Amino acid sequence: MTLEIAEGKSPILAIYSAEHRRLMEMLHPAGHQEYSEMLASLGVFLEEEILPISPKLDTGEVKIAGPRKKLMHQGICQIPFPREYGGLGLPFSVYASAIEMLGTADASICLSVEIHNAVAEGLNRFASVNQKGKYLPSLLSGKSLASFTLTEPASGSDAGSMATVAEKKGGEYSLNGSKMFITNAGEADLYLVFAKTRRGPSCFIVEAPNRGLTFGEDLKKLGMKGSRTSEVILSDCRVPEENLVGEEGKGADYAKEILHGARIIVAAMNVGIAQIAYEKSLGYSQDRKAFGKPIAEFQLIREKIANMKTEISAGRLLYLYASKIKEAGGDFASEASQAKVFATEMSLRVCDEAIQIHGGYGYTTDELHRHWRDARLLTIGEGTSEVLRMLIARREMARSQ
Amino acid sequence: MKVAVCVKHAIDETELKIDSSGSPQLRGAASKMSTFDKNAVEEALRLKSVHTGEVAIFTVGTPEAKKTMKEALAMGADRGVLITADPMSMETSRTAELLAAALKNGGPYDLILCSEGSSDVYSGLVPPMLGEKLGLPYVGYVRKIEATGQTARLERALEDSIEVIEARFPLVASVVSEINEPRYPTLIQIMQAGKKPLQEVTPEALVPGLSPSPSLVTGMKAQAMARKKVVFEGAPDETAKKLLDALASEGVLPR
Repeated sequence: MTLEIAEGKSPILAIYSAEHRRLMEMLHPAGHQEYSEMLASLGVFLEEEILPISPKLDTGEVKIAGPRKKLMHQGICQIPFPREYGGLGLPFSVYASAIEMLGTADASICLSVEIHNAVAEGLNRFASVNQKGKYLPSLLSGKSLASFTLTEPASGSDAGSMATVAEKKGGEYSLNGSKMFITNAGEADLYLVFAKTRRGPSCFIVEAPNRGLTFGEDLKKLGMKGSRTSEVILSDCRVPEENLVGEEGKGADYAKEILHGARIIVAAMNVGIAQIAYEKSLGYSQDRKAFGKPIAEFQLIREKIANMKTEISAGRLLYLYASKIKEAGGDFASEASQAKVFATEMSLRVCDEAIQIHGGYGYTTDELHRHWRDARLLTIGEGTSEVLRMLIARREMARSQ
Repeated sequence: MKVAVCVKHAIDETELKIDSSGSPQLRGAASKMSTFDKNAVEEALRLKSVHTGEVAIFTVGTPEAKKTMKEALAMGADRGVLITADPMSMETSRTAELLAAALKNGGPYDLILCSEGSSDVYSGLVPPMLGEKLGLPYVGYVRKIEATGQTARLERALEDSIEVIEARFPLVASVVSEINEPRYPTLIQIMQAGKKPLQEVTPEALVPGLSPSPSLVTGMKAQAMARKKVVFEGAPDETAKKLLDALASEGVLPR
């Protein structure tokens, strides 16, 4: 029974060498060769160091911290950021492609790294030169880990209704409230916390450890089991006033901007998750026999394979299209949402079909159904499909009026 | 300490396909740095980090071999020399002769490292030939190197024992994979590798009047291995007996 990838068939590099190379060439006529070399080299690392431990991250036999640190040391977090802060200054689409490969290798590490980098993106966009100089180099090199701390027990995408407050006392802010479903909680060195001041939602850097910063228990999730998720409790959590990011009252705008970029990345991650489920299905359908021939010979299985492949390609083009608009400095909010809505729902369909193709083995094998469990988060996290459809439709209505 | 590492851009044996006539499909086959060469590069970098100095990479290869060169430079080597010839079209002695000539030009080196054999053809002939052509001591299958002043203490991994050798620099050594865990180049190192010096030389420039290869490879066949795939079922003592009987009836064990 082969639920493993066939030997010599490397899902990350195989897909990379053919399709990404061509896409990189189309997107970046000048730099594509170097970008492809870098991504291929990252692929070797993912193939050898991350993919083999991925099942063990799901079952808890391997903890995330070690492999994540190794991966960050390779420079995945540096890709889209300015060189002056230790970044590589490369296009966003190169970063998104790297995240797709990481999604294929392991979804939990991918989620953790994606959140971490969303914080780095926020600081790069909205923090002062001093703050950037202080925090970005260690975030980009992976010396420290960040957590995006926005969602609350009773507020998600409607950031304006948050209940966490920040009160200015002397030269400090005191933060009080509770944040929910926070990835990297308890592990991170830096929390980008959103809390209301008198001027409205605002954004703060909270460094751990802090006496007023505690964490709930690690939540029992359906998937993404390798990553840590819990409540973050702020109880007279004091930070110096220079830890305010940007201006008071603009936090909701910052959060929105950060999430637009992150949605492209979540789309890329889901294309990656779908890719691994697809590769396994492709292999299994050619091995498994029914009525004397491989099930891949049956038209109904072929239809599944064709649809899975087509949808994965479509998801990839959508996230790269949104990336390219972002690189050019355009308004990419709608395209990022389209990419995320499509790619997350697509990867659920693909992972579901993967279980169907594997039959009883699909339903009873962690190694296979974990991809569906991992993908299941992402029509919810970082903007539900419903909220994003509202955004897309609102943009379209405004355009046609 | 000046260390030279000889590497090969080899056929990726894990991706190699066999055609219907039983020959490996070499044209258009995937290629990569020969697996154990990474250990040789890693060992050179490790020695440099302890003793300071320089690490230079040498290879005989087609333009495609620049990939391997760049990978070695990205790992941390300082410069590279590419001898532009196809190693698949010439005999090992010619490869060794070209490498020896290039090593003399850029040297002298305290240590010349190779791997035990390339991951595609695995003849393992180049390292001892280099020792011969350069007139240097050669220590093969090394699993540990300690350098102190003018001498090196080397552990050789032999089949049933470990041999410890002391030798004076300069010397040629081939390493086995257990010597270290090769590093992965980081993304920034890959970006910077393109800026490191890479010299290209032709065989004619190195060895004027190089005589043609005394032998030619005219074809290659994959070794076919037929497996019987017999599975014995039952309790361990039953299956052990069945296995013994089967081995005996095959003539592998005396009856």
